[in-house]
Amino acid sequence: MGIDYIIATIIKIVIVMLVFSALAGFGTYFERKILAFMQRRLGPMSVGPYGILQIMADGIKLFTKEDIIPTSAVDKIFKIAPIITASTAFMAAATIPFWPDFTIFGYRVQPIITDSSVGLLYVIGVMAIGLFGVLLGGMASSNKYSLISAARSSAVFLSYEVITGLALLAPIMLVGSLSLVNFNAYQVGGISNWLVWKQPMAFILFWIAAFAETGRTPFHLIANDHEIIDGFGTEYSGMRWGLFFIGEYANMFFISFVIVLVFMGGFGDGSVLSALAFLGKVAFFFFFFLWTRAAWPDVRPDQLMWLCWKVLMPLAVINIVITGFVVMF
Amino acid sequence: MFEAIAFYIFSILTIIMFYITISTKQPLYALTSLGAGMILISGFFFMLGADFLGVVQIIVYTGAIMALYAFGMMFFNTTKEIQEPRHDSGAVVTLSTVAAILVIMIFVGPIIGDKMVSLYPPLQGATNTQSIGMVLFTKYLVPFELAAIMLLVAMVAGIVLAGKKMDRSLTLMTEEEIAMEQEAKNKVLV
Amino acid sequence: MSIEQFKNRNISDDYYLVDIDDYPTTNLGKFTRAIKRTFKAELLVGLWVVMREMLKFNIHTVQYPKEKLPIGPRYRAVHEMKRLWESGTERCIGCGLCEKICISDCIRMDTKIDEESRKEVSEYSINLGRCIFCGYCAEVCPELAITHGGRYENASEQRAHFIMYDDMLTPMDMLKAGAQKEFEGFGAITPHEDESVKKTPLSY
Repeated sequence: MGIDYIIATIIKIVIVMLVFSALAGFGTYFERKILAFMQRRLGPMSVGPYGILQIMADGIKLFTKEDIIPTSAVDKIFKIAPIITASTAFMAAATIPFWPDFTIFGYRVQPIITDSSVGLLYVIGVMAIGLFGVLLGGMASSNKYSLISAARSSAVFLSYEVITGLALLAPIMLVGSLSLVNFNAYQVGGISNWLVWKQPMAFILFWIAAFAETGRTPFHLIANDHEIIDGFGTEYSGMRWGLFFIGEYANMFFISFVIVLVFMGGFGDGSVLSALAFLGKVAFFFFFFLWTRAAWPDVRPDQLMWLCWKVLMPLAVINIVITGFVVMF
Repeated sequence: MFEAIAFYIFSILTIIMFYITISTKQPLYALTSLGAGMILISGFFFMLGADFLGVVQIIVYTGAIMALYAFGMMFFNTTKEIQEPRHDSGAVVTLSTVAAILVIMIFVGPIIGDKMVSLYPPLQGATNTQSIGMVLFTKYLVPFELAAIMLLVAMVAGIVLAGKKMDRSLTLMTEEEIAMEQEAKNKVLV
Repeated sequence: MSIEQFKNRNISDDYYLVDIDDYPTTNLGKFTRAIKRTFKAELLVGLWVVMREMLKFNIHTVQYPKEKLPIGPRYRAVHEMKRLWESGTERCIGCGLCEKICISDCIRMDTKIDEESRKEVSEYSINLGRCIFCGYCAEVCPELAITHGGRYENASEQRAHFIMYDDMLTPMDMLKAGAQKEFEGFGAITPHEDESVKKTPLSY
């Protein structure tokens, strides 16, 4: 472990942080635009050409807004909570490869912060820690809506953690590794080698669970505006609320990367074309998060639990059993 | 050198976190610091090269158990400080004695540790996850399966306990039925 | 148009009653319902509908400060004081009817007899902060001097700006250019209104 390794790692961390913080901002712009187009509106148009500078305006607003902390809130926890959400979202990116290896200035660069042997588990585990931001934020706000949202979020996260784990177990059994780089290597060689054809059930289950993990629309009951205001974010203002937002969008991007790497072939053989296709696939899954928000209604908490425990979990277990038999014989 | 720095940072932070957990009167502080301490412990596993155990520490202890604690704490008003009814000096003495013994063991441990030999050395070329699997499914197969059965029993028991009145719906019941049920309950209480 | 046609108020013939099944009570019924709903792929229909609208790109947004929708002549926004077409003098004769009828008591006027012994309005003010834009003043005016205009964007730094008489009076250059709009009366309809009249989908 030389000094150059540490410098390279720090540079990679800074780049991932900067790129995905910026992408979170652009994500809000894309979301507003796409939702607007799907609802026959135009979306932001005033700031800059086609409203592209709306991100800047939002950023200035969030940074300069007063940071209000309610008197009855538990102030230290209240302050920490959004940082937990944002930081765990970025920490989860540590074992995700964002691009195939390439050579620059004579250095061989691996665009992954660390290729751990337990990469996939790490991503899922750390993403699940993001629950604590929502949970503590909701409990520390001393607001009833926040508390309801905290209870819902912990119920949803705990339930769908099971689905995520069980759904991923079957592909892990096939690949025989937890490293996302190995997952990619397993699927090299064209569309027919993608894991989605071998594990369609696991793919759908994981995709559904991804919506719950990120709290996006069919499962947006964590912060349903029409019944519990903004849930855990009700009492937050300014940049602390912005951190929750960045965390949510970074999570959406990272889970899209994971879906593509695990099921849709990742960046394939590492040529530039397949790497661009990789980003295209990630963009599609990100777009799908926005698409469903325009199209689908939200489900009730009890329906969500019903779906998780009575439908998805049995299916995941059956899938694992079948995969086990196939692997064995 | 980096490992030494990381070790001391992690250990100091872990001790501080757990100290906050037991000393604070604010339930949310205790909850947060316990969760943080659990995550910091996983740092030790990563430093030892036990990646799998480190991740399992994060997922199981922080992701699942801590979240369950937190879920349980929803039923209390967590924004208020809790006044402990009494300070049991006996417990304090016992706990500090145990802590002192632990500290001695921690300091003496490395001296004994030099002479320790691993009974099941990790296989050459196997990854972390694979070597854990090897040990779990050969040497420790029976304890592993027993633990699995125990968990299954616990889960079934939990479902039975929680699911007793699951079919009962106040919305579907008539007013009279609810009143009768209420009366029956009052009779038992009297 | 015969009475049968008039009674049919559905805008299209595609209307049908949705056939809603009873909720299943048995476990098997619940199971089959869940299976049916899963494989009916209704979620894909929803996705397709929004995607179709996005691809059609049939945007209905009016970018308000840049674009404005035409406003009907009946609309009662900020008052206008009109001038006589021939001489350019103010039409207001100072009769005081508008002041008298104003139910929110926001019109004040002062008159005097000028050198030619004619009645002249020396002060006229409408407190737009109080005005409820009921339109009585315009209705009662015998000379069609005070009418409602179409200017609905009011913003100012001071309340006093909302009672400026000079803002309401038609400027002389506008009058000379023939741009002073005459009040069409209270029954006036929006131009091309009958083109936009549709049958309602409700049959009462």
